[in-house]
Amino acid sequence: MSIVGTDRPRIDADDKLRGATRYLGDLKPHGLLHGRLVLAMDAHATINRVIKDAALAIPGVVAVLTAEDLPTAMEGPMRQFEPLARGEIVFQGQPVALVLAETEAAAEDGVEAVIVETTSHAAVLDLEAAIKPDSPLARIRQIGGEMEGSAAMHVEAAGEGEGAPAPAAAAAEPVSANAKGPHRQQHGDATAALAGSEAVVKGTFRTSWVHQTYMEPQGALAIPEVDGSVTIHSSTQGAFYVRGMVAKLYGVDVSTVRVVGAPLGGAFGGKFNLIDPLVMGAALAVGRPVKLQLTRSEDFASGMPASACILELELGGTKATGLTAFRSRILLDQGAYGDWAMDGAVPVMIGGPYRWSAWDSLSYGVTTNRFGTGAYRGPGGPQVVFALEQLVDELANKLGVDPLELRLKSAAVEGDTGVDGDPWAPVAGREVIERTMQHPLYKKRGSLPANEGIGVAAGVWMGARFPSAATCRVDQDGGITVVTGAVDMSGTNTSFAAIAADTFGVPIESVRISYADTATAPHAPPSGGSGVTYSVGQSIRLAVEDAKEQLLDFASDQMDVAASDLEVVDGMVRPVGSPDRGKSVAHFAEQVTGFVATAPPIEGRGRFAPGNPSPSVACHVAHVRIDPATGEVETLDYAVIQDVGKALNPGLVRGQLQGGAVQSIGWALYEELQHDEYGQLLTGSFMQYAVPRADRVPNVDVDYIEVPSAIGPFGAKGIAEAAVMAGTGAMANAVAAAVGSRIRELPMTSPRVWRAANSR
Amino acid sequence: MSNERLVTVTVNGERRSALAEPRTLLVDFIRHGLGLTGTHVGCEQGGCGACTVVLDGELALACCTLAVQADGATLQTVEGLAPAPDRLHPLQSAFQAEHGLQCGYCTPGMLIAADDLLRRTPDPTEQEIRSHLSGNVCRCTGYTGIVAAVQTAARNLRAQATETRGVTAS
Repeated sequence: MSIVGTDRPRIDADDKLRGATRYLGDLKPHGLLHGRLVLAMDAHATINRVIKDAALAIPGVVAVLTAEDLPTAMEGPMRQFEPLARGEIVFQGQPVALVLAETEAAAEDGVEAVIVETTSHAAVLDLEAAIKPDSPLARIRQIGGEMEGSAAMHVEAAGEGEGAPAPAAAAAEPVSANAKGPHRQQHGDATAALAGSEAVVKGTFRTSWVHQTYMEPQGALAIPEVDGSVTIHSSTQGAFYVRGMVAKLYGVDVSTVRVVGAPLGGAFGGKFNLIDPLVMGAALAVGRPVKLQLTRSEDFASGMPASACILELELGGTKATGLTAFRSRILLDQGAYGDWAMDGAVPVMIGGPYRWSAWDSLSYGVTTNRFGTGAYRGPGGPQVVFALEQLVDELANKLGVDPLELRLKSAAVEGDTGVDGDPWAPVAGREVIERTMQHPLYKKRGSLPANEGIGVAAGVWMGARFPSAATCRVDQDGGITVVTGAVDMSGTNTSFAAIAADTFGVPIESVRISYADTATAPHAPPSGGSGVTYSVGQSIRLAVEDAKEQLLDFASDQMDVAASDLEVVDGMVRPVGSPDRGKSVAHFAEQVTGFVATAPPIEGRGRFAPGNPSPSVACHVAHVRIDPATGEVETLDYAVIQDVGKALNPGLVRGQLQGGAVQSIGWALYEELQHDEYGQLLTGSFMQYAVPRADRVPNVDVDYIEVPSAIGPFGAKGIAEAAVMAGTGAMANAVAAAVGSRIRELPMTSPRVWRAANSR
Repeated sequence: MSNERLVTVTVNGERRSALAEPRTLLVDFIRHGLGLTGTHVGCEQGGCGACTVVLDGELALACCTLAVQADGATLQTVEGLAPAPDRLHPLQSAFQAEHGLQCGYCTPGMLIAADDLLRRTPDPTEQEIRSHLSGNVCRCTGYTGIVAAVQTAARNLRAQATETRGVTAS
């Protein structure tokens, strides 16, 4: 019996298909107050006064809260620590006040009636200008304190420590207080290595702000309990994370905050404690349950999207040995808040899945008056890949070698020195590239009609290495219940069930995956960083093994057979080799769960800290057609070739890779949060912010390979973020092949493509 | 609150009434007035299709329709698709088998739109499916699984119809 490796439906599919799943928006406790936000209209301003009277006079409006009304215990330079603007507005769309009312309609009316009087300041929007020493500051009042946990977490997941502090000589570039950095990674003599290369290419690349666009907008609900504690129901990726952060913000003990993860209506990195601090503070202030769920426009205006970047990159190579050295300077727009900014990681990430002999790689995080930086699937990846993978193609062209041949020669293998200075963990870049060379879509690239092009690119995601724990109980009926505090993201519970069923030896129907909140669950990491299955999956396997051992010990006494001679197959405990002498798991479970028992109940525990990463490499192959008259790009065909370690459920793996590919197409062709010169958002709805729709994308062919991890459960690697990395590069290389010249700015919209096509 | 109206609809074959303010959106009426929370709110602007329902036989965006406009109308929502609590509609079964869903938030609207397509076009091409579903945004699947699911459901529904015709003829 093997359930791991078999394509099976999601365990939550039936509920979701019937519309029976209760998302956050479907919860309505007694006495609920509805929250609506007053959003800043200026991109940068000082708040002089917030006039609440008219709003409070509206029937049903209960309170209008501003920063002074939220009982926070601390402040810090993160959005999570500044749920409402404190004196200074730092981006248009920033929450300034929270209106609470008996009905959503009254709250909406209240928002209209609140007047925010401000004095406007210059909006800092241009990245290059912002770091110049004479630039106005995006944030006049500098907030002390360290960045906490969050950004460090994704920097860690990207596999890179914070960039080493630059030596004094390196920081020659004078910069304003808007600039954070430089973060710098250096090895060998990059200048000499570039000079000694057979060919060198360079370019400057720009990428856009991109929104995660989970279909369920952000939301949370806080309920004050009679004992003074607060229960938060949240559409969040990390219940324990939220608990820790809101407890810290409000200066309460973590034991007085209970966070219950609601089923996620999409997240992609974006659902980390954005709304929770607001509803927690409001519930503490008014003593009633408070729910806030953003509208789509509010989510576009006040969410935490992915950063825009300007990337200058120069790289060299030789025909015989491949890539040699690179030099880069990256400006990463972290917006007004750098909660999840990857400025420390991008100098490493821009090295890609390759081995280099020398590098000089630096970056600045730049504070501007646009949003704040959130995490979005493979944070930093689509940006660096857009630059690196275009130049790798250009270099291959210059050297006269096949683009995949050059990548194959240059692919890092275990033990090579990474750009962060650490040796590479086992990595299957070569295997993935070799497989991609055989893909029919890649082989087609030589024989295309005019205005069509096929492009390829590679990417890697190291993966988070969160510690986790889980338990496994054997129930009276012989089924097993696995308890986890990890919220189900992208079908993780379905994979957990397969892991548990195969590990114990029961049919999958006998496995229950029980999500538990922060009051009762074993510790669980956030579902993010491609680290859930990798860590929690292994904790679950260990917990189930522990439970099975306990069962076999008990059965051994009862059956008078050595435990080592017993096995569990299809829900039966039996001596190895004598299947007819088996007794059901239920037979034993009943004996340890009754009123009187000779042995204690069976409860297994598993704990795990992965320690090392198991990076996943992916190649994307894109086939596009350009309309030279309009510049429109049509994506005709697409393939993803990725090392997944072990596909625990092939159907779910394919779905992850296909979804990631289409999000990359969005990055490449459509998505851009645009501001005007005053910092006003121009793309605040689905009418202006274009995401890929069914008629704009092709079927995505998935060809995964399985090079097992020595760490993940059953050899599995984290896969969801590697799946999005290579897309911007593959699409750009395909467009370049079709157009005949390169586009160095994302997204590759029709006007940009038209200009490139008509300036040949 | 004083200007609430009684709105009566036939939803999934059942006659139901509830109060609604003139400005109440149909989607909020369905979710909170009728308690059918399978219909989701994704954008309130007609841009994502999460709130898609059938209103008097035609697809409608319940976030761009007022509840009072639906007074006297016939509605179908995702809760009305499955023939029984222990059985799924062929579209639902196909979405399950082909992984046409992940987070599930767009799924009810996607199913309703796909059902509408198959009623009109029992044997759609891939392009017809993609075009018909282009008003429904899915951010998780990349659509490949959804298209495959609609194709599978179309095949199964046609086979069912042939069987039924065979039975009727004999």
